[in-house]
Amino acid sequence: MFERLLRQRRTLGYLTVPAALFVVLVVLAMIRSPNLFTSEGLGGAIVVAAPLVLCTLALTPIVMSGRGSVDLSVGPLMGFINVTIVAWLTAGGFTHPLVIFAWAMGMGALYQLCQALVILYVRVAPIIVSLSGFLFLSGLNLLIMPRAGGLAPDWMMSWGAGRTIFAPVTFIVLAALALWFVFWRSALHTNLRLTGADERMAYTAGVPTAAVRIAAHMLGGVFVGLAAVCYTALVASGDPTQGGTFTLQAVTALVLGGASLAGGRGGAIGSVLGALNMFLIANLLATFNFGTLSGSATKLAFGLILVFSLLVNVLAARRAAN
Amino acid sequence: MTMTVSANSASGGNLQDFLRRNRSIVIGTALLVLLLIVGGLAVTGFLSVRNLRSILLLAAFLGLASIGQTLVSLLGGLDLSIPFLIGGANILLPKLLNLGLPPAVAMLIILVLGFLVGCINGWLSFRLQGQALIVSLGVGFAAVGAAEIFTSIGSSFGGTSFAPVPKWLTNIAAFNGKTFGIPIPPVVVIWAAITVFIVWAMRSTWFGRGIYALGGSRTAASRLGISEFRTWVLVHGMSGAMSALTGILLLGFSGGGFVGVGDPYLFSTVAAVVIGGTSLLGGSGGYGSTVLGALVLTVLTSLLVGLGLGFAGQQAVIGFLIVPMVAVYARMPHIRNQI
Repeated sequence: MFERLLRQRRTLGYLTVPAALFVVLVVLAMIRSPNLFTSEGLGGAIVVAAPLVLCTLALTPIVMSGRGSVDLSVGPLMGFINVTIVAWLTAGGFTHPLVIFAWAMGMGALYQLCQALVILYVRVAPIIVSLSGFLFLSGLNLLIMPRAGGLAPDWMMSWGAGRTIFAPVTFIVLAALALWFVFWRSALHTNLRLTGADERMAYTAGVPTAAVRIAAHMLGGVFVGLAAVCYTALVASGDPTQGGTFTLQAVTALVLGGASLAGGRGGAIGSVLGALNMFLIANLLATFNFGTLSGSATKLAFGLILVFSLLVNVLAARRAAN
Repeated sequence: MTMTVSANSASGGNLQDFLRRNRSIVIGTALLVLLLIVGGLAVTGFLSVRNLRSILLLAAFLGLASIGQTLVSLLGGLDLSIPFLIGGANILLPKLLNLGLPPAVAMLIILVLGFLVGCINGWLSFRLQGQALIVSLGVGFAAVGAAEIFTSIGSSFGGTSFAPVPKWLTNIAAFNGKTFGIPIPPVVVIWAAITVFIVWAMRSTWFGRGIYALGGSRTAASRLGISEFRTWVLVHGMSGAMSALTGILLLGFSGGGFVGVGDPYLFSTVAAVVIGGTSLLGGSGGYGSTVLGALVLTVLTSLLVGLGLGFAGQQAVIGFLIVPMVAVYARMPHIRNQI
């Protein structure tokens, strides 16, 4: 155990920059919007940030599996589960929480299983498979629900208000992190890192790379399902149009969290930090009054922060290597 | 490198060899012909001059936007800044016209700006290898944000801008545009000319061969004295300039500046490259393939519209078809055969 922790410590170097950025952003947020740090403010923040945090967490095992397999379809997949919960399950009267959770996690895992099988056996590059899935699901979501609307299940309605930290959404996020911890302690995690770092070597060394890839995708799918439940609670309805935005935000958060899109490197702490940094940046920019320019100024600042923090990230990594 | 080229052309007379080397071109052409036949049978008026002209026009915009994506893919990257630069150019041009600049000067400024932003993108992403995807996204966001802020000086809207568009620009990019009296929109002719030039340049210039060499093996290419840095930055610069050009031409097409005009090109340029058969890992493929990819994508969309599908249905069907289309010629070897 102790040895393992020591070994992990050395690999945690990539967390330095996201953690430092997080501290800076928290200090700035304390100055600019102090009411974020009341129980009510934090509760609201968790509800707003949860879908992105979970989407980023979903991308993490998939990206770690290598072959440049950043999954572009996570956003639309979350949207698909969201609109089907609203348009099929709730409208059809299946509103028991167990049914909703089983459907969300089951559909997420099933879709990712299909995607992993296509990657493994049709042997088309993962990014092409996920691009294909992105377009397919974006179209399908609009066919199921042409515009945002509908109602979430009754018991979920109060979740979106987020008046306290001890809210259901908080527990979902904690459960997801607990699931990640179990995965992190398992042999699967080691095998996944081996596969992602050098698939050929892992295969020659007897790692069941195909099974590892399938497991990584399905784990990601379960996280997408949880993200969809949190998103449904947040908007209290169905929205088929936000898939593309979520994909771009989640991939950005992933990279801000220090994961490598080339595979082999990444982890839950980095991804959560990355997603929280994204949330804090948006929150911070919203406290400045740019008037009619707010959208444009946010884009400009967001782009610059993104490039800058990546630059610092790489320079820090280079110094560590020397 | 010269040796392999001459060895290839020596055995080029063999038909089987030709098919093997140009597999993606042959299959792409077959797919295109097949789609046209299906369209002609299933949709009345599909092969009419009017419909073919609109297909060519839409394919020209997609094709021009995909030039940069193809070149960047050949180096093993992806450029996500394309839609943002298209949108930025699209709103910047009316603003510059309103400031009283002559149209030609305004367009030149925008092309140069596009090239410079592309170069910055290339310079940054060269330092940040592995995260190039996100760097291009960040640069794109920053550029379009800056363009919006600049255009909204003195007006209350950031995302749209209007100015009388010059008649000749409208003629270049409109459905009923004419090239020297022939009823083909000039943008199609411009696209064809650029295509011929790029295919020639990729095959016969030091720069073009260098892109393939770098995509194939960076170490080997740098041993040959090809500057990885210079090629990478220039290719991104060209991608930026071509995005700006597409944005300018789209203004002639639509008549008013709108920042969201580039959004569909984020994934459709990647789809055109991929359907054409250029590997996203670098080194194989070419712009000729992407032209076929853009045509296949546009004809397929037109066919789906003719069959009565809305935007959502088109997207779902195209998404569903990408994997089988790519699987025909771009399957990777099994891991046990890669050792």
